[in-house]
Amino acid sequence: MKAFKSLLVTALLAAAGSSLAQGGTLTVATAQDPQSWDPIDTFLVAWGTVAHNLYDGLIIRTPDLKLQPGLATKWTSLNGNKTLRFTLRQGVKFHNGEPFNAGAVKFTFDRLLGPEGKKGPQQANYNSIKQVKVVGPYTVDFILSQADPVLLTKLAGYGAMIVPPRYIKEKGDAYFNSHPVGTGPFSFVSYKNGESIKLQAFKGYWGGAPKLAGVTYRFIEEPATRVAELQAGRVDIAAAIPVAQAATVKGNPNLTLQAVPSPTVQALRLNVSHGPTSDLRVRQALNHAVDRDAIIKSILQGYASPIASMQSSKSFGYDPNLKAYPYDPAKAKQLLQAAGVKPGTTVGIDFIGTDAVFREVAQAVAGYFQVLGLKPELKTYETNTFYSDIIPKNKTTNAYQMGWGGWTFDFDNTAYLLYRSGQFWNPDYKSKELDALLDKQHNLSDQKQRLTILRQIAKYTRDQAIDIPLYNQQDLWGVSKRVQGFRAPSDSLLRLNTVSVK
Amino acid sequence: MARYLVLQLSQALLVVVFVTLVVAVMLRFSGDPAVAQFQGASAPTAEQLREIREALGLNQPFLVQYGHFLGGLFTGNLGTSFRGDTPVGSLIRDAMPPTLLLALCSLLISVAISLPLGVYSAVHRGGWADQLIRFVSLFGLSFPNFWLGIMLVLIFGVTLRWLPASGYETPASLVLPSVTLGLILTSTTVRLLRAALLDVLGSQYVTVARSKGLSERRVLYKHALRNTAIPVVTFIGLQFGGLIGGGVIVEQVFAWPGLGSLALQAIANRDYPVLQGTVTVLAIIVVLVNLLVDLSYGLFDPRVRME
Repeated sequence: MKAFKSLLVTALLAAAGSSLAQGGTLTVATAQDPQSWDPIDTFLVAWGTVAHNLYDGLIIRTPDLKLQPGLATKWTSLNGNKTLRFTLRQGVKFHNGEPFNAGAVKFTFDRLLGPEGKKGPQQANYNSIKQVKVVGPYTVDFILSQADPVLLTKLAGYGAMIVPPRYIKEKGDAYFNSHPVGTGPFSFVSYKNGESIKLQAFKGYWGGAPKLAGVTYRFIEEPATRVAELQAGRVDIAAAIPVAQAATVKGNPNLTLQAVPSPTVQALRLNVSHGPTSDLRVRQALNHAVDRDAIIKSILQGYASPIASMQSSKSFGYDPNLKAYPYDPAKAKQLLQAAGVKPGTTVGIDFIGTDAVFREVAQAVAGYFQVLGLKPELKTYETNTFYSDIIPKNKTTNAYQMGWGGWTFDFDNTAYLLYRSGQFWNPDYKSKELDALLDKQHNLSDQKQRLTILRQIAKYTRDQAIDIPLYNQQDLWGVSKRVQGFRAPSDSLLRLNTVSVK
Repeated sequence: MARYLVLQLSQALLVVVFVTLVVAVMLRFSGDPAVAQFQGASAPTAEQLREIREALGLNQPFLVQYGHFLGGLFTGNLGTSFRGDTPVGSLIRDAMPPTLLLALCSLLISVAISLPLGVYSAVHRGGWADQLIRFVSLFGLSFPNFWLGIMLVLIFGVTLRWLPASGYETPASLVLPSVTLGLILTSTTVRLLRAALLDVLGSQYVTVARSKGLSERRVLYKHALRNTAIPVVTFIGLQFGGLIGGGVIVEQVFAWPGLGSLALQAIANRDYPVLQGTVTVLAIIVVLVNLLVDLSYGLFDPRVRME
């Protein structure tokens, strides 16, 4: 019996030892199954959370949003910023053994900008690229139709991940969709729709083999279940912890809660085309009416920070000196009176009804409007209807929810699309002055000048009170204490090559 | 019998086609799938939206799109998902076993519990056990199933850690979702069975059977129960359809990769082919189960003849 026991102990130790040597596996729960692993098909944050382990871009963005060499070791601007020359990393292999070189880069962008890319939402992000030219086996030139100051950041993002030419030509796009191959630190094992994707360490990764043996991502849409699985220890990292559950995670001795500022900002945009909000004084009054700090403290439990324009402090174009309208109900009443708005005037607030947190925010804002003697009317919509029908077709009433994730962390991306006249997301605001500013910075490559103009734009939108900027959300991640070396990134692009488990 | 079947099947076909038409029309009234590709994360230009619509075949007139779908349906091709190029047929094939398994297990659980409870309750009508059973089943009926699901997750998944709280991996994963769905169904079945049995027990032929001196046991099993079968089987058949489609919320709570989750995902993405395909398959299952229920009447009551 004793012999048996010691045998068992030895066996267990051996097993433990070997699992340590292999690095162990990690389970991550995300809220959404992207359903396609092809970089050009998707715009989902959930995709980035998984796929940045499978793929590399020419450039990599670190968790604190710094750009660093990825598959390109260096890049230089030529021809007055009309050409970007990349020197590529040598000796890199795709997971299927195919070599990475200039041909692969050209293939990737030809595909993205060609007919295959038309089916997906990524193409338009890269239309400043006229052509990708192979200069040498490890040198490529991006010939640009115009200078694109945000391109480098984009190359670290979604659609620009480098894909294997031979594999895709042989197996076809449909197969590639569900059997992805890249150059990243983990390679694909299996994918089950609506359920999970399994990855394993790629020993030949150019940045050194990962410390984990493998990663499983599980798609659990229901937040309560996601948190439950984290508490039960069946999940090691859970994304998108709802604010209401933050305390549960924080209070659990086996877990930690990591809160990072996300790209997402929430605002109520004010419709200038009709109703009382067409008057600047009314828009300013509504801005003065809302106590942002109170909303952040009570509804978001502090997991957000106030904003003065549609961008976070992490965004290029942010101006620390630009202040939001201070909370001043007396001033607001004065402004309303000056604008001739009678007590009891209806002000509509439109928002997405399935967003539990914003529902509370909208109710709070309605309360503030009521204090001014206005009659707020809350109207809810389903996400897709709201974004594809109500906003772009100018069917909103007066104030409407505008949640915006500026994934490039550059105000251009946000401001141009939200305020330039004629843009899809800007159904009602038209100003020649603002258009001129937006256009000017859009094609500029001098970052100093751009910063100045972007700040002018932010100030202009604030002065015109086009919206009521509310807050910059924080992403909450629940992390088991067995996980070592994990830092939640601001852009949700998880790279788990330096993470290990106890 | 053959004539009856042909009639029923053609009716069923009509129902399925009608359901797909309603779904197709309603879908097109609610948001743009091209915009859904962006999910609010970035902004499409008009040009880009046009290209995506073209690539997805959405620029064609509605009748042409619907015609394509129907044509495909009869040749067994349900199209490809807007998300990536996955064939809808293969998505449904993968989602079908989890859903059927869940529905079947919930049904078994509910029958296993409700049959003895219902019979006992009716036979011992008015007794304390009857009162208790009626109270508990009313209580059970009043729970929304997502709430019951989350409670079970918290108790058995988080606190006791006996069972996995979600997923579709081992037989143990099946326990919590099927108990959740099964319990909801149990409450109704108990009450229905009790009422039907009481009705029969009060009828004249039971009195006659009793007066002939048959044992109470024989009266119950040989005569009464058989006659409660039709309403109960009808109810369970109807519920099975509901279980297949209505397991949506339970599938959501337990991250169960079935047809319900697939349909929800498709709605969020405005993935027309996937949603149309899923709804069609659900409709076919419900219609077939009801047909089977109809056919089963003959087994319980020889007077029912399919003419």
